[in-house]
Amino acid sequence: MNTSGYSLDGLRVLVCDDSRQIRSLINSFLNGFGVKSVEEAGDADESFERMVEFDPDLVITDWNMPPTDGLDFVKKVRNSSESPNPYVPIIMLTGYTELYRVKQARDAGISAFLAKPVSARALYKRLTSVVDDQRPFVRNDLYFGPCRRMNVRSNYMGGERRKA
Amino acid sequence: MADAKIIRPARHISQKVRKTGGPSPADAIMRALNAAEDLMGQYQGWAVDDLGALWQKFNDTVAKGDVGTGDIQDMFDISHEIRGQGGTFGFPLITVIGDSLCKFLDGRGRLTGFELEVIKVHILAMKAVFRQELKGDQDAMKSDLRDLLELLRAKVDMTSNFGVDSPSDG
Repeated sequence: MNTSGYSLDGLRVLVCDDSRQIRSLINSFLNGFGVKSVEEAGDADESFERMVEFDPDLVITDWNMPPTDGLDFVKKVRNSSESPNPYVPIIMLTGYTELYRVKQARDAGISAFLAKPVSARALYKRLTSVVDDQRPFVRNDLYFGPCRRMNVRSNYMGGERRKA
Repeated sequence: MADAKIIRPARHISQKVRKTGGPSPADAIMRALNAAEDLMGQYQGWAVDDLGALWQKFNDTVAKGDVGTGDIQDMFDISHEIRGQGGTFGFPLITVIGDSLCKFLDGRGRLTGFELEVIKVHILAMKAVFRQELKGDQDAMKSDLRDLLELLRAKVDMTSNFGVDSPSDG
């Protein structure tokens, strides 16, 4: 076997989706990638409970999880005093792919966006990009989450213009 | 306005991952597909149940005659679920049709007779895809179907906007 790839066996991943089938599929994909510890949750409240108990290294969450939604869950993970790790990477996996939705998710504090339908290839690519993502977190009066600037210009000569 | 605070968390996911020693990306993806093979095989069974729920909701709505935003939202939610699952489980045509139906229902406040017919066409098209087991890429059909459904939605929206009587009105 070629062993040139990432070794993901130490990761703990929480998968949140109201569809049991999608949860099972993502769980299977993750097992195939080598992830050994995966927990599942079916709605936003249960997701936060699992988050507190399990303290995952990565969260993969759906948006639409009645009665509450994935965005509320993301905001709670980032901002609640009960959150065990406000800096945990969060991949939002959703069929809501309209640009305004992507911006809403970004502004709630997600780390990465992955559109349904999802493939094993797309999930692997997104997972490894999150591992390599070295963006800092930003806190101001209106936002707390990963820096929303995906591209930093190394030749930028001006001053810092970021304000709350 | 206050300056933003930049934070570099002490804990990072990369601390739990070794960048070598695992399977190559191609191997990892192949293993993932193998691990999910059984689930992929079971998809059609439960998807037909979801589609049955949509069909039931549609028929209840038609029978009731009074179509509220709650009914439309219910149909949107089921279609949204079907849209996300179709392509994920190897039925991209289901995602194309589900996507078209979501676009048609999203933000709609009422449904006329023509509009109900559009919903019916989408559901019947999804049933046909499952009946004929149209799995896999289906690239040519995907493109044709997307164009056709877009045309249908546009035509019905134009008809509705110009106040033409729907089948149930006349």
